Amino acid sequence: MFKLKHSIYALLGTALFYASCSNKAEQAVAPTIANEQLTSAGLKLTNQADPSDAPSCLYRFHLDNKGNVTSTDSTSLNLKANAKYNVQVVMLDTTQTPTFDVAAEIKDRANYHLLFFQPTPVAQQSLVFGNTSPYIPGTAPSATGPYLNLSVARTDQDTNNPPLQVGLADVFTTGAASTGKLRVVLRHQPNAKNGTFDPGSSDLDVNFIVNIK
Amino acid sequence: MRRLLLLFFILFGKYCFSQTSPAQYLISGRVRDKKSQSPLSAASVTIPGTTTGIFTSNKGNYQLKAPQGIVHLHCEYVGYITVDTTFTVNQNKVINFDLIPSDKELNQVNVRATAIAHKEIATQNMTVIQGSDLDRTRGLSLGDALKSVTGVTTFQTGPSISKPVIHGLTGSRVLILNNGVGLQAQQWGQEHAPEIDPFIANQIEVIKGAAGIRYGADALSGVVSVNPKPLPVDTGSMNGEVNAVGMTNSRLGAFSAMLEGAMGPKLAGLSYRLQGTVKRAGNTSTPDYILGNTGLAENDFSAALQYHHKNYCIEGYYSYFDTKLGIQYDTEVGSIDDLQRKIAIGHPVTNYDFTYHIDRPYQTVSHETAKAKGFINISDSSKISLQYAYQVNTRREFEPLSLSSSLAPSIYLQIHTSTIEANYDHKDGAGFSGTVGLSGMNQGNVRMYGYLIPNFVDYDGGAYAIERYSRGKWLLEAGGRYDYRWLRAYVFDDNVDKINTTTTTYSGISATGGATYHITNDFKLTGNYSAAFRPPSINELYIDGVHQSIGEFEIGDINLKTERANNFSLNLNYSNHWLAAELEGYYNKINDFIFEEPTGSYYRARSGALLKFQYTQANVYFRGADLNLTIRPTDSLEISSKTSLIYAWNETIHDYLIYTPPARFQNGITYHFGNVGIFKNVALGAENIYVARQTHAPTGYDFAPPPGAYSLYNAHVDFRLLLNHTYLDFDIAAVNLTNVSYKDYLDRFRYFANEPGRNIIFRLRVPFKIK
Repeated sequence: MFKLKHSIYALLGTALFYASCSNKAEQAVAPTIANEQLTSAGLKLTNQADPSDAPSCLYRFHLDNKGNVTSTDSTSLNLKANAKYNVQVVMLDTTQTPTFDVAAEIKDRANYHLLFFQPTPVAQQSLVFGNTSPYIPGTAPSATGPYLNLSVARTDQDTNNPPLQVGLADVFTTGAASTGKLRVVLRHQPNAKNGTFDPGSSDLDVNFIVNIK
Repeated sequence: MRRLLLLFFILFGKYCFSQTSPAQYLISGRVRDKKSQSPLSAASVTIPGTTTGIFTSNKGNYQLKAPQGIVHLHCEYVGYITVDTTFTVNQNKVINFDLIPSDKELNQVNVRATAIAHKEIATQNMTVIQGSDLDRTRGLSLGDALKSVTGVTTFQTGPSISKPVIHGLTGSRVLILNNGVGLQAQQWGQEHAPEIDPFIANQIEVIKGAAGIRYGADALSGVVSVNPKPLPVDTGSMNGEVNAVGMTNSRLGAFSAMLEGAMGPKLAGLSYRLQGTVKRAGNTSTPDYILGNTGLAENDFSAALQYHHKNYCIEGYYSYFDTKLGIQYDTEVGSIDDLQRKIAIGHPVTNYDFTYHIDRPYQTVSHETAKAKGFINISDSSKISLQYAYQVNTRREFEPLSLSSSLAPSIYLQIHTSTIEANYDHKDGAGFSGTVGLSGMNQGNVRMYGYLIPNFVDYDGGAYAIERYSRGKWLLEAGGRYDYRWLRAYVFDDNVDKINTTTTTYSGISATGGATYHITNDFKLTGNYSAAFRPPSINELYIDGVHQSIGEFEIGDINLKTERANNFSLNLNYSNHWLAAELEGYYNKINDFIFEEPTGSYYRARSGALLKFQYTQANVYFRGADLNLTIRPTDSLEISSKTSLIYAWNETIHDYLIYTPPARFQNGITYHFGNVGIFKNVALGAENIYVARQTHAPTGYDFAPPPGAYSLYNAHVDFRLLLNHTYLDFDIAAVNLTNVSYKDYLDRFRYFANEPGRNIIFRLRVPFKIK
């Protein structure tokens, strides 16, 4: 076996020789350029009755150097009970300088995108699903237990014929004081947008903590 | 080198056997025409009643071994009177034959034999697809073309991408040879189909079982060898062939043309071949709906040039494969929530129209192979061959654009591979034959854009020997191989934004031992044991990123150990003029089997939660049986039956192994009508394929339970027309004739959609001669 091993090394030597002629593979690591970056998503609200009441919230993805999400954090949204708010959805890529406005990009391709909202209770067992747009369709509503008393209406439209809603601009109507979460999902529906949730895939799926006082 | 060869001879060759056999003497001589004294080549010299025998060389010489005692020698040559002679052997002898031409005219010569394919490992099961069986796969992908082989199935990603599975194992464990060059592509994804144009093939060989001893560690479960026919040798000839295929389902059109020839007397020995294929397909439909974005566009080209001298040969070969494959819409999921919702629906939610247009998501793959090969006959029964090949595989994956306007691919990977191998084949008259070889490989990766696989450099070296001894009813075979791998990866460390260089080495010994016993001329029994190993591949060690389509985030494990397989197989083979039966049983125990396992934890992506998958190891075993029956009650009727059964168990977790092919039964009948009017060689056939539900699946592992059993009916009619002294071979086939809606367990898009519906395929083949 001793001689065999020597032959292997001799073989590897020749392999090294001919391979050295084509070492372009070695260490030629091109920069990692992610195709799509979205680091922050948030909501900017203005009380229709009181412009000075302008709450907002922000959900942040913390990325590693490959563009993978390592952790997330979120600020809560504090709303007044029994009020109407004009809402603007904010999506940013803060890894670029200047900060890239992803929401503007989405607006340019609004015919492919649709936002859905889902107020949910903090307690999972009293989860409530809406069945109609802009709510995420799902199981039948179960009204056991307190849930976030919030209704959502999309107010913007794309250029499809007939036009379909987008959801970058919305109106939130709050009810009685309650606490819960608001789930926001951005659906990407190339060549398939029809106003419902199912076609395409999710580009963004986040939860904001909402306090209605 | 010589020492090494000697070592192998001593280890595996004659030494083991010559101890027990009686003294052998060398009998040599020459065979000549008595009148002209010119040497007669390829005359046979045999010892009747034994398997000892040889054909004379170009100079009319022969050499064989005989035991001590009285020896009966028989010398035969077509057109000459046969000579028998008996003499006593107690030393090396020279016996010359001068043959006298026979007065008898040859009335008729009936040759009824099938050429025995040269098998690299004689005691391992090999299936060959050729002739009309191969013609009937024209236009299909390589994976689909192999489905007719018992024990072989495919792992699919929608209708356009499939890769072969042999005895339950797939991916890098199945080695694919393109004209003798091991395909070094990017086998690290389920949706990576082999980059080979099946139109190149004149013959596809499938070795079922561990063939690592001959082909290196990657051939742990089998080898698929796509062989073009040998280049022509008729001086001054020029031939061609045109193939056209049309399919109704995806409206696939494929056109392939080939031109070959051998140069005239001034350049005798020089021959060439040019071949090209163009293939286009649009959206495939299931019985109920069209699968959006499942088109493909493929362009292939190959060229070969050879110089053949009686004692040596040099060959150059180049092939280019380029494909663009659409990935079905609705299979691109952003999160586990998406996946569950789509599985609950189980079919596309949008109606798509037929189109040839391929939109995002899609992938483009190109593969270039350049090969130089030569051999030299160093004696009448031994030769040395040398082969060098360079391959470049480039892969781009384009995801749907959503948040960015970048037109760049999300993944770009290019791997460069050079391989070199040297083989020495030898054979002597006493029943010994064998091959000794050395091989080396260097591979490197260049990546851009998204991170999935790091850059790496790999050096592989191997040395092997296989020796065969055949005597009487026995064929014995033994072989050994040593492999060494050096792998350096440039792994991106995402915490500190720098590249970490890690180097790992792997080495191991593979061995094979087998025996064939011919119980009668028609009936033989073969047993084989192979010990093989496979070092972890680059993706299993280092993959780190989102794998789209089924909402998974894959993580490699740098601490993976080499997987080791012990493979036993037993093969019963019976064939006579009306029945051919083959029964194979196998047991394959793999320790430290590497596979992907869901961790149960989630990776938080912007699009929602993805399930984390981690490469892990377990001790598993596969056991199964393949049964292949062909019955010809009359010359015109042929009934065939193929059964594949397989069972896989994960001993570490005491549960079944995921993605094991379910039981498969294929029964067919073909009737040959002969000539009907202007239609020649008319044959009509029908078959049923029944695939059972996989009940041996682990619970709580998969996203959806295995789909139900399905039964498909296929039919075909083929005939030949004669037009201006040119044959036109037609084949019209219907696949899934009854338009059944079904899902296949080994299609990873079964979560989202059904398999294709009825497909009528028209094939035309026109071989022609150019004068």
